[in-house]
Amino acid sequence: MSDEMQEILNDFLTESNEMLEVLDQRFVTLESDPNNTDLLNEIFRAMHSMKGSAGFLGFNHLVDVAHRGENILNKLRQAEMAVNPAIISVILETIDVIKAIMADIRESGTDNHVATAAIASKLDDIINGTVSTAAPAAAPKVEAAAPVQETPALPPPTLGEILVNEGLASKDQVLDALNAQQHQPDPKTPLGEILLQAKAITERALDQALHKQEKQPKPAEEDATIRVETKRLDSVMNLVGELVLGRNRLIKIGTQLEQNHEADPQVRVLSETLAQLNLVTTDLQLAVMKTRMLPIKKVFAKLPRMVRDLSQKLNKQVHLEMRGEETELDKSVADEIGDPLVHLVRNAIDHGIETPAERQAKGKQAGGQLTIAASQEGNSIVIRINDDGRGIQVEKIKAKALAKGLISEAELATMEHREVLNLIFLPGFSTAEQVTDVSGRGVGMDVVRTNIRKINGSVDLESEPGKGSQVIIKLPLTIAIIQALMVEVERSIFAIPLSTVIEAVLISRSDIKTINGREVLHLRDRVLPLIRLAQEFDIPTDKERERFYVVVAALGDRRVGVVVDELRSQEEVVIKSIWDYLETIKGVSGATITGEGKVVLILDTSELVQNAQAWHNSGMAV
Amino acid sequence: MPADPNMKILVVDDMSTMRRIVKNILKQLGFNNLEEAENGQEALTKLKADTYGFVVSDWNMPVMMGIDMLRAIRADEKLKKIPVLMVTAEAQKENLMEAVQAGVSNYVVKPFTAETMQEKINKIFK
Repeated sequence: MSDEMQEILNDFLTESNEMLEVLDQRFVTLESDPNNTDLLNEIFRAMHSMKGSAGFLGFNHLVDVAHRGENILNKLRQAEMAVNPAIISVILETIDVIKAIMADIRESGTDNHVATAAIASKLDDIINGTVSTAAPAAAPKVEAAAPVQETPALPPPTLGEILVNEGLASKDQVLDALNAQQHQPDPKTPLGEILLQAKAITERALDQALHKQEKQPKPAEEDATIRVETKRLDSVMNLVGELVLGRNRLIKIGTQLEQNHEADPQVRVLSETLAQLNLVTTDLQLAVMKTRMLPIKKVFAKLPRMVRDLSQKLNKQVHLEMRGEETELDKSVADEIGDPLVHLVRNAIDHGIETPAERQAKGKQAGGQLTIAASQEGNSIVIRINDDGRGIQVEKIKAKALAKGLISEAELATMEHREVLNLIFLPGFSTAEQVTDVSGRGVGMDVVRTNIRKINGSVDLESEPGKGSQVIIKLPLTIAIIQALMVEVERSIFAIPLSTVIEAVLISRSDIKTINGREVLHLRDRVLPLIRLAQEFDIPTDKERERFYVVVAALGDRRVGVVVDELRSQEEVVIKSIWDYLETIKGVSGATITGEGKVVLILDTSELVQNAQAWHNSGMAV
Repeated sequence: MPADPNMKILVVDDMSTMRRIVKNILKQLGFNNLEEAENGQEALTKLKADTYGFVVSDWNMPVMMGIDMLRAIRADEKLKKIPVLMVTAEAQKENLMEAVQAGVSNYVVKPFTAETMQEKINKIFK
């Protein structure tokens, strides 16, 4: 296959996948707004275009399926057939088959491996009217975001129109001036000037109108966007990372030079140049980060369809509302958050929202409300998943955690309401009385938290019995560059992600106490399990120090004290993956290079906290 | 008058893959002065701003359909002579009368080969 054909094929796959994602969402909207002709036309067009390109590329199975789907859509949009849930279900199924074919094409380069006979006959049955297309019992209603209305671009208003619309000049005055302009030889006097000369408008009015004209949105510039492979962006990001490291080194060296050769004018020029380089590098880093940002809409797109299918399956009614879809986040974060989000939404519908009958008995509306909202808060993206379902009974969680031996009675007694709720994220925990095939088997929430932590995010749960639950996910804007606290242990340096550091305290050896053979620190009213990095990483220690620093790191409600010799500095570090070179090292999430040019390991705080908590709990339970 | 290989050709389609495919076919036939537009409206703006020798357009597009663009071209003093080739799907054959009445120069059914395209161009520029 020629390069050109390969590129066209890649284009086709990317573009079709984007269309399919949108289609899912549109269909769900269609179900609640079945007579929306614009929507039907749009859906028809997408299917039609995909079929058209597939024909050129010789994907005949795909053409065949899309063609049958298109036939039905054509009948729907020409009102020869009415939209009903049965038809929509089959068309959604068709889209799933098309997605499978796309995946096949991506894998094998052909479309021969997906069975299409079943869906083809279902589609034919609809066309031939051999299945009842009468609407069955009302389908669960799902509200998706309204489709974006495409308004044809109007030409921007002219200066004359603005002047008249704003009441700055009369229509006659403008027409007179335009007429005068018409009869002038080239170059013609600008309209505003003619009006000024005729004393029809004041200079201020003209300024005002010109200003307004400038602010008019310009028609979209052609080729304003280009498609770039993610791989290329990754490599740019990686190079910027290297540049940041180089800059950090240069600044370190510059600072030292400045201290030693203060009087040297060349050193001063160097410092100035470095300051400039520093600024540009920071801007470049931000700019590159922005090119990797996607609206979270991409992640949300698959939810309406899922909510629809699930609520239908469980005989529940769910109103889905999505907010903040324009919120942007790094592509790598977006890629990782999809699965956890799907799982949490599943949970909310499966365990949270009650059946219509149950809800009505409680005096609630038959349909449950599920809201998914994204927003940017400082350097984090926050996603909130709210349901108005049955909520979570703290007593049930306590009982289960005890029964499963995940926690001791003594520990439970000291825990606050929210801490107890968050126990459901522990491995092997499930609150569902009955395991359903919808929401996993107790590994779910644990995996959700692990995946979110993998990208340096956190997840928190709040709930009020009878009223509903809220899951709050916090994600970093980017995962490639982080602020870190550099610490030293026996002349080895480690980086601790600053987002997990609560505080650092200086303690004496005598402050460290031992409970059940484990070291702890009484810090204010809390018992803090301690981790000695020297022990954790088998670093030989010369002699016992008298004074230590304890860095208090936290994840959610759990805290751990990391014992180190010295606090060095706060640095912006670029995370480099080390898994290509080293097997998994417990407690390490990556490496970076410092300003001094040293390779430094970045600690995986979540793992350290988890380990510490595990032995802490087991110790307490004895 | 045979087709001038240097004439500027406008390829109109809402799907970028299709624009690429059509451009690829035209390139195979020796045409390299190719521009694209995403819908009828964008095409009209481009046609008015420059001199084009040929338009290859899809039928079903958002914002402005191919047929409406064709009517606008034929109604425009400056543009009305530009040959327009419509790319249609099998299912739209019944709409062809409409296109003929609107003044389409020829049509081609998807999917087509470079040879078919060459034949159509030969017929238009004979």
